[in-house]
Amino acid sequence: MGHSYMVAAYCVTWVIQLGYVAFIAAKWFGQNSKLGGSR
Amino acid sequence: MKKLLAAVVAIGVIALMAWGFYQAMYVAPTDAAQGPAGRIFYYHVPHGMLCYLFFTVNFVASVLVLAWRRNYPGRALAADAWALSGAQVGVVFCSVVLITGPIWGRPVWGIWWTWDARLTTTLVLWLIYVSYLLVRRFAVGSEMQTLAAVLAVFGALDMPINYLANRLWRTQHPSPVFGGDPDAGLKDPRMLHAFGWNVLAWAVWGIFLLVIRVVVERRAQRIAGSEAEAALAAD
Repeated sequence: MGHSYMVAAYCVTWVIQLGYVAFIAAKWFGQNSKLGGSR
Repeated sequence: MKKLLAAVVAIGVIALMAWGFYQAMYVAPTDAAQGPAGRIFYYHVPHGMLCYLFFTVNFVASVLVLAWRRNYPGRALAADAWALSGAQVGVVFCSVVLITGPIWGRPVWGIWWTWDARLTTTLVLWLIYVSYLLVRRFAVGSEMQTLAAVLAVFGALDMPINYLANRLWRTQHPSPVFGGDPDAGLKDPRMLHAFGWNVLAWAVWGIFLLVIRVVVERRAQRIAGSEAEAALAAD
């Protein structure tokens, strides 16, 4: 029982953290198109 | 060269995260009273500690924005990038705290949430910085950065209240890991090591995200500046 709570908490942590990484990456690649190429 | 350096740093951060995970899941003994759910502590508490760090970055940068905005607009713009990035990374870490806390509370306390001083002030802290980000997103005009910086300075007042909440008042939330009740805290050195490694790993991860976010925001500022110059030239 406690094990599933532990796994759930760990998964939520990484979903939030990697979601933020994806947000930053989307901004970066959006900027690349405005800057005219990858930098 | 920059890309190579970023790749080396990223690999180092991932290796540190993996080591922290190994320590928390396999080296630290299972807490006798809490069972496996007790291991949530190794990522809930570091996130709680580190959201103070990132909100402090936001506070210091916001003070600098207010100090430099008239005489050093270039520096104020750089400070604004740090302020925004500190608030965003802080909200990410605080969100993890607010979600993993109830997931720990359900098996250990038998309830998801209670309106005690520590939990409530943490929710208020999160709401303050979400409102800061919403002001930045939706306010228009040249005074947006000043308005956001003032909000950040006042918002930071909740940090000491939140920190002291389970020291000053009787709360459902456990005592502080350090500097709390003599009976509280980590007794087993393996637990202490696992906790230390996870604080370090999440700190390095968070600072890595913060620096990348600042770089992206500085690029956004340069693009906005170029677009404004182009628009003026077109007129």
